[in-house]
Amino acid sequence: MNLRITGALVAKDLSLFFRNRFFAIITILGLIFYIVIYFVMSPSVNESLEIGLYAPVVPTMFEQIQEEGLEIKVVESEELLKEGVTEGQYVAGIALPADIMESLMSGQKPKVSVYFASDVPEEIKDAVEVIIRELAYRQTGQPLSVKISEDILGPDMMGMQIPPRDRLRPLLAVALLIFETLGLANLISEEAERRTVQALLVTPMTVKDLFVAKGITGIILAFTQATLFMAIVGGMSQQPLIILITLLMGAVLVTGTGFIIASLGKDFMSVLVWGIVIFIILFIPTFGVMFPGAVTGWVKAIPSYYLVDTVHQAANFGAGWGDIWQNLLILLGFDLALLWIGIMALRRKLQ
Amino acid sequence: MAGEAIVAEELTYWYGKLVAVDHISFNVAEGEILGFLGPNGAGKTTTVKMLTGQLKPKAGKATLLGMDVAQDVEKVQAEMGVCFEETNLYEQMSAIENLRLFARLFDIQPFDGYALLKRVGLAGREKKRVETYSKGMKQRLMVARSMVNRARVLFLDEPTAGLDPTSSEAIRNIILEERERGATIFLTTHDMMEADKLSDRVAFMDQGKIVTFDTPHNLKQQYGKRALKAKVSTGSGELEDREVILDTPETPNAIHELFSQEKVVTIHSEEATLEDIFISITGRGLQG
Repeated sequence: MNLRITGALVAKDLSLFFRNRFFAIITILGLIFYIVIYFVMSPSVNESLEIGLYAPVVPTMFEQIQEEGLEIKVVESEELLKEGVTEGQYVAGIALPADIMESLMSGQKPKVSVYFASDVPEEIKDAVEVIIRELAYRQTGQPLSVKISEDILGPDMMGMQIPPRDRLRPLLAVALLIFETLGLANLISEEAERRTVQALLVTPMTVKDLFVAKGITGIILAFTQATLFMAIVGGMSQQPLIILITLLMGAVLVTGTGFIIASLGKDFMSVLVWGIVIFIILFIPTFGVMFPGAVTGWVKAIPSYYLVDTVHQAANFGAGWGDIWQNLLILLGFDLALLWIGIMALRRKLQ
Repeated sequence: MAGEAIVAEELTYWYGKLVAVDHISFNVAEGEILGFLGPNGAGKTTTVKMLTGQLKPKAGKATLLGMDVAQDVEKVQAEMGVCFEETNLYEQMSAIENLRLFARLFDIQPFDGYALLKRVGLAGREKKRVETYSKGMKQRLMVARSMVNRARVLFLDEPTAGLDPTSSEAIRNIILEERERGATIFLTTHDMMEADKLSDRVAFMDQGKIVTFDTPHNLKQQYGKRALKAKVSTGSGELEDREVILDTPETPNAIHELFSQEKVVTIHSEEATLEDIFISITGRGLQG
């Protein structure tokens, strides 16, 4: 590899990339857009259940449970309570009878009316019912006759729930990375389409120099943007080294993909079409981070899964090398495979 | 005596079952201009690709300045310049940026791109993007790019195709200047007049083979017929063409008859063109 030649080609490609108005604007606006999206989203998680309460006399137990994540709003009448539930102000409305305390103390079963909107999930109904029974036990001072044991399956997220925007962070970073495949693929495709590569290949430049230069250009474009984004949105506050290495490997992944797209595309439009198809495929694993449970196990067959998952684990949970080394190993395997396929396909096209 | 700049020995290339170049051999001396002629599909481009290291010969060998092109391709390419027929410039870059890029690839330091652009008549437009250039300006820039490394061997593929007479003449002058500098020039062209004017020798290629290889003068001597072309006035005042073939036993009588029996208005001699010679050798024209 000739460093002088590679340097000249990289400088030329970066210059041409930013002279292409479409890619220059998309790159800059894309970065700004993603950063804006991140900052307009809520930085906190609202996990409290808002429940409306109508009670002629509010029992002390309701004051206690407000400190435990429930928001109780007392209303003036049962009618207002029903109206609030119907309009979605409360997930449930509880109407207590005036003699509830006396009934409880005397061992009778007071009637408690609970109102739900028609579209409330079954889980909420169960939860509210459990809350009322628990409160009743607290009020009467009689302990439950069963022993409850809690088992947490998977990471215990109690107290460390991720705000939506932080959950979105890996998705946006990976979107920036993936989008650069288009820019790189277009640069290479244009080189073939306009036959400038023919002019390069009759200079002392070798085909190897050409691929190294294109690879470096692709990695610089993708890695710089994703890193910049993560740094601005605070994604580097935990495990910065792991995130940097993961993004670098992600940049290699998209560079290999860019080579493949360039070998398939003949002009700007075909590069765009192929690019969007591949963009969608690579983007699927990011939904798994945004909406856990939304994707099934086959998503692990998509190379970008290991990129998204690693960034998510490291940036949002501070996962260390011990937690993510397998992901990185698989990602490295995909990097090498895609680069090899891309180079072979492109070499064939250029010849 | 000048050494050999280009030597082709039994050079052969095929695409599947189609033999594009069929065991051709020739040599070009240092400082010589070779006109490489032939119709489309004759194998000219494939030959040039093998000589410039873009294609590896399936058989035979190409040597440039004593170096095997297939073995020492990088060293060979450092000594040559190529001007392609189709424009392949970086159109979103300026002329000076295009030249500087190639100067860096050839490791030319220091490099005076402005002087080179002035030489091809592009002074004052150096910093304009190439996409704003006319075809003639782009072609001049292509020629300039091929000269960035002061190449010892220049491959020029149709350098004046589609250009106006002024641009064509400018490029022809540059070719002659390069020859004066000592460069060897491999000129691929369809333009017979251009080949005739510029070339020390010409090679005719047809169906993958070199069918003749000599100086234009010798070819004309060998294959051409010289003639006198006259316009004569008829009794009704109209003009008619007359032709007298030269260099035959009947020539003196024919000339005598022309002047004694006809009213000659204009007369001039005409030599055979390379196109005529190509047709007489291959039975078809160069544009086919």
